[in-house]
Amino acid sequence: MSFVFVNGVLTGQTDEPRKLVKNLISDRREGKLTQSLNVRYREETDTVVINTDGGRLIRALIVIKNGKPLVTKEDINLLSDGHLTWDDLVKQGKIEYLDADEEEDAYIALNENELTQEHTHMEITPLSVFGTQVSMLPFVNHSNAHRNVTAVKSVQQGVGVYSSNYLIRMDNDSMVAIDQQIPVVKTKMYDEPSFKNHVFGQNIVVAVVSYLGYNMDDAVIINKASIDRGLFRSMFFRPYKIEETRYIGGQSDKIIVPDKDVVGYRSEDAYRFLDEDGIAFPSVEVDSGDVLIGRVSPPRFISSIDKFRLGVQKQIETSVECRTGEGGIVDNVFVTSTFDGNKYVSLKVRQDRRVEIGDKFGSRSGQKGVVGMLLNEEDMPFTYSGVIPDLIFSPYSLPARMSMSYMLELIAGKVGALGGRYVDGTPFIGEDEESLRKELSSYGFREDGVETMYNGITGEEMKVRIFVGDMMYIRLKHFVSNKIQWRSRGPIQLLTRQPTEGKSKSGGLRLGEMEKDCFVAYGAALALKERFDSDKISIPVCSKCGLIAVYNVRKKTGYCQIDGEEAPIKLIEVSASFKILLDELKAVGIYPKILLGKKV
Amino acid sequence: MEIPEKYIKLYKKKYGEKADIEELKKLYEHSLITPGEAVGVIAAQSIGEASTQLTLRTKHAAGLTVINTTSGLPRLVEIFDAKKEISTPVMELYLKPEYAKSKEKASDFASRIIEIKIGDIISSYDISLRKKSVELMLDRDAMKEYGLNIKHIESKFSKTKLSANIDSEKITIVDKSADSVKKLIKLRNKMVDVTISGIPHVSRAILNKNNDGTFWIKTMGSNLEEAMKMEEVDQSKTVSNDIMEVANVLGIEAARNVIVEEVYNTLQNVGLNVDFRHIFLIADAMCVDGTVRGIGRYGLSGETESVFARASFEIPLKHLVEASLYHETDKFSFVANNIMSNQVIPIGTGAIKLVVNENGRGDKEKDTGENKE
Repeated sequence: MSFVFVNGVLTGQTDEPRKLVKNLISDRREGKLTQSLNVRYREETDTVVINTDGGRLIRALIVIKNGKPLVTKEDINLLSDGHLTWDDLVKQGKIEYLDADEEEDAYIALNENELTQEHTHMEITPLSVFGTQVSMLPFVNHSNAHRNVTAVKSVQQGVGVYSSNYLIRMDNDSMVAIDQQIPVVKTKMYDEPSFKNHVFGQNIVVAVVSYLGYNMDDAVIINKASIDRGLFRSMFFRPYKIEETRYIGGQSDKIIVPDKDVVGYRSEDAYRFLDEDGIAFPSVEVDSGDVLIGRVSPPRFISSIDKFRLGVQKQIETSVECRTGEGGIVDNVFVTSTFDGNKYVSLKVRQDRRVEIGDKFGSRSGQKGVVGMLLNEEDMPFTYSGVIPDLIFSPYSLPARMSMSYMLELIAGKVGALGGRYVDGTPFIGEDEESLRKELSSYGFREDGVETMYNGITGEEMKVRIFVGDMMYIRLKHFVSNKIQWRSRGPIQLLTRQPTEGKSKSGGLRLGEMEKDCFVAYGAALALKERFDSDKISIPVCSKCGLIAVYNVRKKTGYCQIDGEEAPIKLIEVSASFKILLDELKAVGIYPKILLGKKV
Repeated sequence: MEIPEKYIKLYKKKYGEKADIEELKKLYEHSLITPGEAVGVIAAQSIGEASTQLTLRTKHAAGLTVINTTSGLPRLVEIFDAKKEISTPVMELYLKPEYAKSKEKASDFASRIIEIKIGDIISSYDISLRKKSVELMLDRDAMKEYGLNIKHIESKFSKTKLSANIDSEKITIVDKSADSVKKLIKLRNKMVDVTISGIPHVSRAILNKNNDGTFWIKTMGSNLEEAMKMEEVDQSKTVSNDIMEVANVLGIEAARNVIVEEVYNTLQNVGLNVDFRHIFLIADAMCVDGTVRGIGRYGLSGETESVFARASFEIPLKHLVEASLYHETDKFSFVANNIMSNQVIPIGTGAIKLVVNENGRGDKEKDTGENKE
């Protein structure tokens, strides 16, 4: 007697579990039951598990009977002619969906050659063992599995055309490549029309060689002339959004060019790009600090003094200015209204992003790195036939990572470029290495892809033959210009007087606890003190009671709130944060008395 | 500058009797630590950096002849925290020559020191609430194996507070005051825990052979005090890895040496080389006041003189409130408090001060803060 569970609930029992499972499956294939039903007899617990609920991963497989697939050549012909649809095949029971549970009892062949009498199912294509993203990487079946995961992660970060209506979209951090190509080495997935609109890389000539030391540790050298010709150039869009909010009491923001009597008025120069409507006009070149959308807001706090002294309250400037270091061209201006009926203005600033040192690049095999050098074309190495690579990749990145798909793509790309055709690099079913090598040698090149190269600086022939070929490279979204930050002086926090934190507030770089320890260990006491002088203040201390006194530095007079004007007051230099500590101690009822010694 | 005699001897041994002592003087002075050097921070960094490379996991080996001791980072933490009860106490017992040379005598001794409790030689027990008694049935075979007889048991029980009635079959204790099974079970647990032979806490003893053919014993579980009393043991060599125990039995100097040895060996075992002098400094700091103090909230750092240095380490409020209650003064002579108030730290270049004669008096006092209620 075995129990039967339907969607995890005990619903009955049966004496012949195997027969039940068999009947259920044949009923499903005949169309009597829903296609999303899956059933399995679990021997170890002697239960029949039937699942029909949502949330299970199911995948389609071809049903095999007596060692023959039910989907015949005829079906495929009908399918391609359009007389038959996928759903028809499913309805006929020739293709069925299995979930993870039922898959345990299935014996699945990878392709038709493997079929035996015992097989129950066959893959529609071996490619279907991969997800959508992995199946777009060429020759992944040759690479380390971990590399393929890395490769997918890199490709996801690629700059391409993420959406064909990007011009009218207002996405944050949107980047669009100016020129992109369909890869020479593609997989079958690239033929899918929906991917064709979203290509994300360029086919370039790559040489695998250590050159000048600028491509060590995963860095790459890029040919400067290629960059000048527009290689990997892309655009960066920064949207700015502002709303004319309405407040309680009938007041509201106004998007206009602010008047000069507004609180917080910048210079006239800052507003020079604003149109009459208070919005910068398209196609104007703005720089950091320029106002893009002018706005004035009613005062935030109604202070009683202002109210009586002046009849009209001053408005506050709340314009949007261009971010620091992100100047560009005003690309698009949208004026709409929000759901509440407020005026809503959004504006996009476009920047052209040339490749520079520090930008990140990756191939489709998990080999990513930053640009270490933009080398002049005349200094780049060249082959016997005069080909100058666009990118120089370090050979030391290959052996430890075992990303064979990198090298296979390089050879396949070379074959494709020479033969003027696309190469199929689909995993398991693509073109194999041997035929690619044969084809390469038929074009008059060495079959292993290496060529004699010459040092571009000295003109000498390199002692070793260099592996050169064509492959697709992707510009990844990590641009240095978005990340670079420095500061010598800048804004400070109100409470602690310490420098602000973070790039957007142009903050300082923290000298942390462990870095401090290094200064201490080195014995650089005075250098350390100077590093921490960022919040230095001098406070007057009453030498009688040891508390902070009141002092006028210019008049050199002061008094202590406890000991009066007679008490001698001295100035001491401490950090502002220490003063706060003393204040807080006072707040909890501890009397921090400062005893003053003699000054040196 | 005085050069210690031992260096002169070594120098002469290496370079001959006529070697230039001035040269040695130069070398000696060069090797001395500069005044104001932040030796503590450097020691902490030297050990701290190395221990980041230790894996958190300890390796476990199954087997009878190998004693597993805690190693790696957990062991380091154990040492520096001066834990009262370490997870794997181990003793190394060295024997007097007449025992060390003979394998029979040594292995006989090894089997004798293993602790045997009443619990090991009983087959079953019986608790009766009506008779208010606990009966432990003796296991004859086990007793024979351990070479014990009733007299042994009687003599051991006579030393305890339990008044037991022992015959050849069983041990019976009647407790008239017992009114619940719970109490009787407690009594039973007490009885089972009585040691009849061996050194308490020693659960295993393994014989080891030195290269020179002498034997020594490694024990699992440590009880230095009892082990030292045994006449077979060579007291001059025997040690335990339990620092607190060594401090109690052999004194603070021995404990310091155990700290140094243990830290050095734990680091050495995972292939890290830390200079002895860093470990010396830390071990010295842990042992200065005659007791072993750990590094941490309840040890060194929690007992710093400076109020602010203590407060900046852990639980600031507690330290500040206590300081105010006891009218403590902070002299600003540490690193932590001087950094808090942005003053020059008294280390390295900051340790040196220019003494100016002002009105005939040299005074180099700086401003000092004090906590006062």
